[in-house]
This record gives sequence, C-alpha cells and structure tokens, in this order.
Amino acid sequence: MKKYFLIIGFILFLFAFNVSSKIPDEVAAAYKELPTIIDYNEHVKPILSDKCYACHGPDVTKQKAGLRLDIADSAYAPLKESPGKVAIFPFNLNKSELFHRIISKDPDYMMPMPKSHLILSAKEKAILIKWIENGAVFKPHWAFVAPLKKVIPMVYNLNVINPIDNFVFSKIQQEGLQPSPAASREILLRRVSLDLTGLPPTIEEMDAFLNDKSANAYEKQVDRLLNSPHYGEKMATQWLDLARFADSYGYTVDRTRDMSVYRDWVIHSFNENLSYKNFITDQLAGDLLPAPTKETIIATAFNRNHPQNMEGGIIESEFQTEYVMDRTNTFGEAFLSISVGCARCHDHKYDPVSQENYYQLYSFFNNVKEAGQISWNDDMPTPTLLLPTKEEEKTIAYIKSKIKEKEEQLKEIIKNEDSDFNNWIKEEKYKAIPNNGLPKSFLQGYFSFEDSLKNSVNDSTHAIMRQDWDTKSEQPLFEKNSNGQHLKLNGDVYLDLKNIGIFRKSDPFSIGLWLYIPKEMKEGVIFHKSNAERLYNFKGFNVSMHQDRLEMTMAHTAPSNAITKVALGAIPRNQWIQLTMTYDGSSEAKGLNLFIDGAPLPMETVMDQLYKDIVFFNKEEPALQFGGWYRGLGFKDGKLDDIAIYNRALTQFEIKILAKKSNWNEITKKLSSQLTKEELVILKDYYVSVINPKILAARTALQLERAHFSDASENIKELMVMQEMAKPKKTYLLSRGQYDAPLKEVFPNTPERIFPFPANLPKNRYGLAQWLTDERNPLTARVAVNHLWQNFFGNGIVKTAENFGSQGEMPSHLDLLDWLAIEFRESGWDVKKMNKLMVMSATYQQDSKTSWIAKEKDPENKLLARGPSNRLTAEMIRDNALTACGILNKKIGGKSFYPYQPEGLWEINNTNYIQDTTDEIYRRSLYIVLKRTVPNPTLANFDGPSRASCVVRRQSTNTPLQALVTLNDPTFIEAAKIMGEEMCKQTNIESAIHQVYRKLTGTTPNLKEVALLANLQQSQYRLFKSNPNKINGWLNTGLYKINKTLDPSLVAANTVVASTILNSDATITKR
Amino acid sequence: MGHEPDFKLHHPDFDELNKRLERRDFLKKTAGGLGALALGTLLSSSISSKTFEQQILEALPTIAPKAKRVLYLFMSGGPSQFETFDYKPMLSSMLGKGLPESVRNGQRLTGMSANQSKLPIAPSFCDFKQYGKSKTWVSDLLPYTAEVVDELCIIKSMYTEQINHDPALTFFQTGHQLPGRPSIGSWLSYGLGTENKNLPAFIVLVSKNASRDQPLYARLWGNGFLPSQHQGVQFRAGNDPVLFLNNPAGYDGKDRKEMLHYLNKLNELQNDVWGDPEVEARMSQYELAFRMQTSVPDVMDTANETEEVFELYGPESRDKGSYASNCILARKLLEKDVRFVQLYHQGWDHHGSLPQGIKQQCKQTDQPTAALIMDLKRRGMLEDTLVIWGGEFGRTVYSQGKLDKDNYGRDHHPRCFTMWMAGAGVKPGITYGATDDFSYNIIKKPVHVHDFQATLLHIMGLNHENLVYKYQGRRFRLTDVSGKVIKEILT
Repeated sequence: MKKYFLIIGFILFLFAFNVSSKIPDEVAAAYKELPTIIDYNEHVKPILSDKCYACHGPDVTKQKAGLRLDIADSAYAPLKESPGKVAIFPFNLNKSELFHRIISKDPDYMMPMPKSHLILSAKEKAILIKWIENGAVFKPHWAFVAPLKKVIPMVYNLNVINPIDNFVFSKIQQEGLQPSPAASREILLRRVSLDLTGLPPTIEEMDAFLNDKSANAYEKQVDRLLNSPHYGEKMATQWLDLARFADSYGYTVDRTRDMSVYRDWVIHSFNENLSYKNFITDQLAGDLLPAPTKETIIATAFNRNHPQNMEGGIIESEFQTEYVMDRTNTFGEAFLSISVGCARCHDHKYDPVSQENYYQLYSFFNNVKEAGQISWNDDMPTPTLLLPTKEEEKTIAYIKSKIKEKEEQLKEIIKNEDSDFNNWIKEEKYKAIPNNGLPKSFLQGYFSFEDSLKNSVNDSTHAIMRQDWDTKSEQPLFEKNSNGQHLKLNGDVYLDLKNIGIFRKSDPFSIGLWLYIPKEMKEGVIFHKSNAERLYNFKGFNVSMHQDRLEMTMAHTAPSNAITKVALGAIPRNQWIQLTMTYDGSSEAKGLNLFIDGAPLPMETVMDQLYKDIVFFNKEEPALQFGGWYRGLGFKDGKLDDIAIYNRALTQFEIKILAKKSNWNEITKKLSSQLTKEELVILKDYYVSVINPKILAARTALQLERAHFSDASENIKELMVMQEMAKPKKTYLLSRGQYDAPLKEVFPNTPERIFPFPANLPKNRYGLAQWLTDERNPLTARVAVNHLWQNFFGNGIVKTAENFGSQGEMPSHLDLLDWLAIEFRESGWDVKKMNKLMVMSATYQQDSKTSWIAKEKDPENKLLARGPSNRLTAEMIRDNALTACGILNKKIGGKSFYPYQPEGLWEINNTNYIQDTTDEIYRRSLYIVLKRTVPNPTLANFDGPSRASCVVRRQSTNTPLQALVTLNDPTFIEAAKIMGEEMCKQTNIESAIHQVYRKLTGTTPNLKEVALLANLQQSQYRLFKSNPNKINGWLNTGLYKINKTLDPSLVAANTVVASTILNSDATITKR
Repeated sequence: MGHEPDFKLHHPDFDELNKRLERRDFLKKTAGGLGALALGTLLSSSISSKTFEQQILEALPTIAPKAKRVLYLFMSGGPSQFETFDYKPMLSSMLGKGLPESVRNGQRLTGMSANQSKLPIAPSFCDFKQYGKSKTWVSDLLPYTAEVVDELCIIKSMYTEQINHDPALTFFQTGHQLPGRPSIGSWLSYGLGTENKNLPAFIVLVSKNASRDQPLYARLWGNGFLPSQHQGVQFRAGNDPVLFLNNPAGYDGKDRKEMLHYLNKLNELQNDVWGDPEVEARMSQYELAFRMQTSVPDVMDTANETEEVFELYGPESRDKGSYASNCILARKLLEKDVRFVQLYHQGWDHHGSLPQGIKQQCKQTDQPTAALIMDLKRRGMLEDTLVIWGGEFGRTVYSQGKLDKDNYGRDHHPRCFTMWMAGAGVKPGITYGATDDFSYNIIKKPVHVHDFQATLLHIMGLNHENLVYKYQGRRFRLTDVSGKVIKEILT
C-alpha cells in the first residue's frame, strides 16, 4: 500500500517539478551562512543520524526502501524502489534523490516523512546540499577511529603552560577571541580545592596561598590537594554515580544493604593513584585475574551494584535477565559512552551495535550464579565475599584449627578402638543388634501414617497438614495399601513435622522415606526444611524434582552459598521407591548424599560452597515438611510412607535395611568366626556409628566445634561480588529483549566495528577488560579523559559525555581529546597526572567572567575563552557549609550514615528512618545513606542522582525547592548557627562578617557587601531583641548546642547573616 | 511547524491555544514565571542540544485541549474488577471449579500462584445492581460511586504488560517498566508549564490511612531525565507540607521577606562582578520559594471549608492526611489551577482475605471519590478537569490460596482490568470495552496503558508522538513507541 503511494507520489513529482527543484529561499539564505568547509563528521553526520537513520540507518529490520544513509556504498547505489535514481549522486544535486525529497513540500514525497515528526531546518537542508555539491564524502565516525597523535598547534603572543593551552588557545584565536586573564588567587584556590577534594579551602589554606610569593605557589597547592585523602572522596563521588552505587536494593520495599566496602575501595584506589587500567580491570574482572586478591575481588562489586528485586510474585528468570542487562548497559555507558542498551530489542538505530553484538556482550556478564529474587530475610544475595574483621579472622582461624584437631582425634580414636571392636566381635555383642526392621539408634522421628500423623518415637510430637502459611490444620488424605496406609498429596497441602528435622549445617542427619513419584511430575518439592521455595532465597535443605531431574540443595542462601547436587540418571516413576538422604555435618558436597532403594544415587555436584549456616536462628524455625511449600510447586499426586529421621548419618548397610533390601538376621545369627570380610566392614561401620562411647564422644566434640565455626561465621560481613560459573551459562539472543523469547545461542564477543575482539584473549570478563584497555580500542581512553575533563570544566570536550555515538555531540576539540587520550594511556593511565595536567593549564586557570563579546559569540563557553563556572554539586553545597562552620567530621569510609531528614519520608515504602545522633551526622555527603526509591531530599534537590542506573553526567537545574533547602534544611540552619556563635567572638561585626564570608565563599567581601550585611545584622538584632520568640528556631535547630552565656539575640542575628551569605551566589557558585 | 513569536491560529477552537501562547510569551519575557526561569537554566545546561524554548514550542498543543487540569486517583495495589465494576453473574455457579485451560490459554502467572496445583474460580461475594440513566452495573461496595455513575466513562478493557507491582506501577506512571523515565505529571509540566506561579505544576498526595500492603517510591512522581523543576512535589499532612517549607520556628513570613530582601541585594552586589544571568534566575527561584511558603499553607488549610463540604466527603474528611481529606485538598489545588494532582491510596493488593480487605478500601474511598465528582461538577470545574480512577492491574478470577465462598484471595492479573475517567474531554455515562465471562481476557476494544496515556495527553491538548525529549541520543516519549488515542470515549 505504502509503496503504491510512493510510486504515485513519485510520478506526480515527475510531472510537477520536472527534474530540477528550486532551492527554497530560506535554504538559500542559510546556505550563505555556512562555513567554507563542510565536514562529514562535524556537520553532516549529526543530521543524517538524527533525522534519517531511524529508517535508513544501521537497524537492518527498520531500513525502508532498502536504503542506508550511514554507509556510502548504499547511499550512492541505485534505489530499488525508484528505478534509475540514486539517493546521493556526489557533486550532482539534481541527480540526488535526497536533495529533491528534503526540499519537497509534498507530504507523500518529502523526507523525513511527516508522520516521523522529524523536521529538517533550513540550515540542515543547506548543509546536506552543500555536502552533496562538494562530493558527498563519507568518513568513518570519529569515535570509532583510534586516536592519532596530533601535532601540538602553535600559539602566538600568548602564554601557554602546557599543550592543553596550545590546542584551546589556537582555536580561540582562529575564532577571533582572546583567552581571559588568570583568575584571582582566591577564586582559583576555591575552584581547584572544590574540584580536587570537594571541600573549600580553610582560611589558613587561603592565607598560606595568598602569602606564598614563590613562582610555583599554585602548583604547590595542586600537589597538596592531589595528596589529600579527600581527593579520593571527591573522585569517588563521580565514580559512584557511574557505578550506580547505593545503599538499597532499589525496587519496591527497597531495603538497605551495605556495599560500603566497595565504595571505600574506590576512594582508596583514587588516593593510591591506581592506574585507570587496573582500576577498571579490577572492577570488571578482579576475580579472574591471574592472581586475584581480596581487594581485586572487592572491586568486582561494581557489577553487583545494580538494583535487585524482592517482590513476592516476580518471575525468577525475568529479573536474572534484567540484572545482566544492567551490567551490559552500564559497561557500554561507563567505559565506551555508547548506549548499547538500545540494541537490547533491535539493532542499534544509530551506532554499529547489532542486536547480536548486544547479546554477545551480555554473555560476558551472564556467567554468575545469582538469584532473580533476593531474600526476604536480608541475607546478602549470592555470590558474596566474606569480609571478616581482624578479630573474626583470628577466631575463625582458631576454630578451624580446632576442627582439624577434632577430626584427627576422631580418626585416632577410631584407630585406637580397633581392639575394642575386635573384642566386641569376639564377644559376639553384635548379636544384640535389634533386627526387627527399622534401625532405632538416634531415631528422632518416625511417621508410618497407619492411623494418624503421630510420631511413633515420641508421643508428644505430632505432625500436621497445612496449606500456604496458615497454622490451621487441613485433613490428611490416607490411602490403603497392602502394608496398611500411606499419605496422598495434592501439591498444595503439605505435611509439617513441626519440631522434627531441624538441623544445622554442623549436624549429621539422615532422612528416609518411601515415595511414589507420578510419571507426569517434572517440577516440585518432595521434602524440605525451609520457609518457602524462593522468598527466602532458599535457606535450609530440600530434595525436589527440577527439570525432570532429582535435585538436592542445602543452602544458607541459594544459589551460591550452598551445596547443590543433581541426579545423573532418571528416577523410577509410578512405583514405590525408598529414598534416603544422609549428611555427615561436614558442609561439603561429598558429605551430602542420596540413596535410592539402598543404593547410592550417582549425582553431579553443581555447587559446593556452603559457608554459613542453614537455619534462621529465630523462634519460628521451620521444621521438616513434605509434599509442598509456600508459593512453590508441590508433590502433586505423589504418595509418601514410613518417614524416618535420624540424628546421625546412617551406615550404608542400615540404608539398605531401610529400603528393605537387607536385614541384620544374616549377620546376627552367625558366630564371629563365620563372619565374612564384608560383614566385618558392615559391623565396623555400625560399631563406629552407634556403639563405641569414646568414638561417639569424639564425634560430638567435632560436631560442637563445627557449630562454633558456624556461630562465629554467621555475622561476618558479606559483600556481593562477581564469581564465574565453572560451566558457562548458555546465552541466547532474546527476541525483543524478552527473557522468555530466546532465539539463537550466542557467544562472548565485542562489537566488531568498534574494535574486534583479539583472538588470543580469553572469552570472559578478563578478556573483555583487556579488549577495553587495548591501545587499539578507540573509545576507552577518550571516554576516560572526557570524564575527568568535565569534572573541571563543567562540560566534557564531548559534551554528551554519555554518548560518543552518532547521536552524541561532536567533540569541541577533537585534536585535544585525542592528544589527552594518548597522553593518558602512555602515562600508564595515570589519573593524578592527568588531573594535574588539566588543572595546571592556563585554560583552567582563566577568570570566569564573561565579556559581552564572548557571551555573544560563545554563550555555552565551548571555546573555553573563559574559565569554568558552575553551581556547586549537591555534595559540595553541604560539605562546604559543614567545613565553613568547622563541624565537618572528616572520617573516611565505613558504613553510610543517617543525617537530618524530614520525618516520615521512608514510610511510603514501609521502612523506618533512624537518624544518627552522634557526630556521624557531620560526615561528608558522599556517605549519606542512599535509598534509591526515596532519595535524601538535601542531595536530590540539587540533582544528586537516584543511582538506579549509570549516570556519567548530572543535570544542573535551578528550582525553588533548592532555595528551600539552603534556607530551611536543619543542616544549613545549624551550620549558620555555629557560624553565628563564632561571630560573637570577634571584636566587631565587620571583621566577623569578613571571616564568615571568607569561610563560606573563599573570597573577601567588598566594603559594600560588608556594610549591607552589617545592616542586616543590626536590623535582625533589633527584631530578635524585641521578639525573643523569633529566636527559637534559629538557635534550637540541630544537635549542636550554643554557648548559653552569649546573648541569644546577637547569636541569632549573626546566624541570619551567616545564612544569608550561605544562600548567596558567592557560596552556591564555583567561579 | 514553526512557531513565530506572533503565531496565532484564527479559529474559535484555538482560542485556548492562543491564550496559552500569549501566556507563554509573557512568561518568556517576565522574570517571575517558571517558563523564563527554566529557560535561564536550560540555556546554559540543557541536556538536549535543543533549547528549552525549542523543545517547548515543538511540544505546544496542536490539538485544542479539552482539559486544563488532571486529577488522578491512583489505587495502588491493583483493585479487583470483580468486586467493583466488572459484573460476572455467570461465575456464581462456578465456585471452586478450575479455570478452563481454554480461558487461561497458557498465559503467564506470577510467581505467587504459578505453582498452585489448581486455579479455583472465586465468584464475587458482592451484589451488583444497575444505576443511573446509563444503567451501569456497580457493586454494592460502592454505593456513593453508584450515585455518580452517569458522570463516569468506565473502561473495562484496560490491560498492561506487567505482572508485578513495581514494574506495573512504574509502567503506568512513566510508560516504561524500568526506573528512569519521567512520570505523567512531569511530562505535563514539561509540555504545558504551570498555570499557577506560586505552586508546583505537579502535586502528589499520599493517603496516610491506607493499609500499606505495597510500597510506593518517589520515582513514581520523579522527573526522570527531564529537568527537575518538573518533578512532582509531595504535599504531606502535618506541619511541613512541602519539605523545608517552614522557616525556623518563630521566624515569620515578614521576617523572611526582610532577609530575602538583603539576600537579593547581596546577590546583586556579587553579580556586579560576574554579570551572570544564572544569578538572576536563582534570585527568582528564591522569590518563588517565598511565594510557596505563603500559598502552600494557605491551600493546605481546609478549616474554611463549610460543614456541608465535610459532610459530603464523609466522616474521615476532617482527619488531615486521610484519603477523604486529601480529596478536599485536591479540589482546592485544582481550584488554584495546579496542572496535575495525583492522589495515591495504597492497600488494594488482596492476595488473601479479599472480601474483608476490599470492604475496608471501598469504605475509605467510595464516598470521598463520589463527593469529588459532585463537588467539581457543582463548581463548574468538571468541565475542564479530567478525573481518573484506577490501579496498576486487575485481579485473577481464580483464588490464590484457599477458597471459601466468603473468603478468598486474588492474584495479580494484567490481562484485563477496569478504570474510569470523568469530566473534561470524556463521554459521561458510558462503558467502553468488555471482558469475557471470567474477566480473564478482553473480548472488545482493548486499551493498553500507552493508549490510556496517549488519550490523557490528547485531552490535555498534546500529541503523544510530539511530546518528546531527547536524551542519550534518543527521542523519548511517555508512550514509548506505541499508544493510540481512544477516540470513541472522547467528547
């Protein structure tokens, strides 16, 4: 249909316009204003990309009329739907279909099509026209061509400090402008202090710099700041935006969890000046390095910072997929500044990242055994790294040595008791082993369902039938069989043994039962000791059918703090079988086994790292349950009988007895001389397990020591980190990005048009990190120096720091960007050195005043003919106030803290905010607890991001809510109050104002300002004197108590003065 | 479409548009309006390569707007359609029978009931009757709503793609299931600006008396990647209705005015050096903040409402922060021409004990909701105010967990649910769309969340395909890549 209209449109066009179209007047006018040289990358590509690629770009499925305008071959080729025409005919407008279409006003013919809502401006049309006239030269996108070392341009008659200035000043001169003179020392010191440490200079620091007459006075300050421990904090603040670091999970209930160890690693790494190459390699692949350390593994928390969901109804695989996508997208944005996430559902519309490329990249981040739904009981989602304190490390080491000792002792005793065993045989005491069926020693519970759910070992205990979490009892369904009765299950109602079967990971135990598994059953639990299938992210142990295979898990938190074994073969169905689980208390997979009809079941171990206990340690400890679980698939139409639970690992022979494959009769009727070798082994096993009191005592001692180990481990801090699965998970290209729509399998690889993955690299995250830092990678170093640049200059050299692709802005100084990128790489990715280079440049040191000529010619300061000037960031605004009043708590690192915050904010997601009450509240803002769904208003109002996803460039807005924060937030009133008190110590108000003004703004007030503020102080003093009730709010806000002997009216008046300065431009803006 | 400074369309349909253009022009020229302030900030720090002005102008109404304001009553948790509006008499004889596979048709279930061995049908415990001239079926739990049913346009064929609260709520409010996009109110603020220069364009109220079964998150009224002046501002019951609105205790408005006067002078002195327009922009923000300090407590104060109004809104209406009280407050905000007011009432997530739970929810919300409709109508405001009622998804026909005649639960159901709209732009007294006998599938006129959003924007005079913001190289819109206006419900 559409085609039909196109053809008609085309025919009409032929009649209406003949061949040569007239260039509209406004386009002709715009044409005259164009620069002499039209550059493809700078002028043309942005237009083609933004206005044409949606239908004629890299996305194969969306290409209309078979035309691509992102590559020359296609653009110059004959048009399939317009025979004899080409879209672009170099040097010939009239033969270029593109030309006719962009100037047409015919809705059926014009381009872009009206329904796209995209419009070309006259200037854009003119550019395309001139470009075609000049030969329509295509060039590769600048960002995908590796940077080349550029010649440092010459600059005449200007003082340059380093090559940055050569690049910047030469361009300024070309544009007919002049660089600005250097900023005043006060302004410069405040600028560089805030930029390098996030903190303002103190009065002492200001005076030292102002009085330093040496030639390198500024450089000394720069070195001092680069070596300050607060440098790392400032650098980390930006990095944490990029790494989406937060203190909460981010979805629904949004509980908090502590990832501060990662944050502190970032601070420390910047302070130690870890090379950027190692800095990002550790974060991407610290666990896969040839020699990983605790520190490099901590760094991998980078890839676990993403939000995670604990909502009850979520679908496990949906969110597992979402987490991997988050990592993939973050990788693209943080290190490549390419929005790879766009290729989740389809080929990227603007950049050379196909949908297949996306899933290839995704596969690097997919090999981690993690849960989609996180636990309801605040266990850290696995995999995790244990982070014992020094003290805990000692305790653990001690207990480990004790366990070793007890294990040795047990072996020793068993050996030593050989003679005792021989006597026991000789005296034929084995004849006393009861041979009436079921082994009785250490039997904790036995349920035969003959008449009820009672435990025949202990009459006081009684099982019940339950559904969901109801405590109400349901009716059991008994069925007759040849031996009496068994229990029939429907998959929803389950048998709860109440207080039977509660074992810790240090307890040996056995569970035996008869069961009948229906043929249809492919998924569902047979028995478990836990609260629910997934909601507690599985804690306890269970035996289930999973994907038609029998599976057994024992876990602190599944899937990675656990033992999981899967049966290798099929399990008999539609017939009664006997199943026994035994566990030796070792926390190891080889100590956890299953037996079917008395024979060991061959199983594959898929996880063997259980490092914390398997119980909840609370009053409502769940017991052993059979046939179903809360919100999980049950043992539908299954049958159960004769459940026996033991407080020890049964011997293999006893397991056979349970399965009715054997009994003691054959042995107990024999004389000792008649016993075979095999029978002696069987008896020895039994003797060791049940008879010898010394062995039993040694085993109990070992069990106790193991329990101590569990107790000592339980509260050791954990950090979510990356851990590669032994067998890589299969990755598929997902149709439309949907977790449940896999198409074809894909393998680790990187987008080849950015830079192909070298064949010699491992196809894992470590290989990916090497690809990223390979000198042939065109993006990494450029992206990194651009991030650093925007810290100092407000905007990056590429303003769209998050997007170096076709839709991003062109670099304002491409040659400089490339020079810096190479310089950075060749310096060994030395971050401090690069920072120093930038802040030492004359470009950075310029005054930021705007001449009207510069404002007219360059309102956005792209040319950098003046110094940078920006509003303080959210963190700086608060830290500046705390520093100025002298109350800042400079403690570095540790858990996040809870500052003043209006009451009740966290109530919308049912959580409590408990404000700190010590000097913790005066810590730096980067340590403020960051709850993703309810951000701290002091920071959020000043554009602090919610850290739900990677952010490399913050907004900088200006709203009335910001005014309310600095006027009325207790943090700022308190700071003003402390300064108000301090002012009372000065002999006269002028010097008091002078001092507070310097502390807050880093500059000296002029006479007019001092006079104005002195006036304010007097009028406020009169106000407070005559209305003492007006003082209250000013002096009683915040934890800080002022000196009671001072005149409260005076303190309050001073406080208002300090608050006024704090709210003024000189405080809020970094000039 | 280029908008020249004197751009005008000379047709009566466009009178409203012309008024807006004049106002916008005025805002651009004065320092006091939000438009100018935003302009000041954005010219220097716009995320997009376009200026704010260009973006606003591109998004200007090309459709004559029907509504000036929106009131969105968000019933968080997913109210059951079976106990409210979607009458399914056939189910009464099917208590406990399994849901036929032909109806479910392999559609996915949540992790909460996917593992049930059986999906037993739970007929509604409610009685339904027909009300009004429109003879609309309404449950006996909503007697007050039943009285105003001729004002409502009930959509029974809503559907969403999300099956769990967080993604579903986020999808409804931002058009995308993952965090990070602007909410509906932010888009409206961005697209239309504010009519009241003393109050934010987008205000959020959260009932304090709801049972908080499912949490809310500030991102539901967040500005996403839009400039932050478009964020929703939560007005809270209590002494500090807007965060940090109150001056230090004892220091009154007059005192603050005096202090701000000095602050202005100080800024002027400082700016003598810099000549930075940003300073002027910030000073205007302080003025606006000051005006909010006066106007917000004023609008929050319901003491001057008449006895009759409190009667109308019901017994809880004097209890500040309750749903009923928030309804009165919402009406007051609308009277002040606040562009978008959104009330959140939690507590509709009835996985178990649904009858008891939903009775309570309806008791809290039915009378005040109906009162709002009547109140707006008699004040002549229903003509240019669009009212919306609904949650993030519906509930299943089958019981989650155990089923008794009088006690059951229902799981999340995204495949169909009921919402209603009333007032400006929508036909009153109609029902749109229909579901099958099990209210499991839509059989007539499905309305996707993006369709609903497109329709809402259309009623406000905005083309959902035009209201875009370029971020990270891509043009984003509320309706993502789909959505169509439901023309049949429009007046």
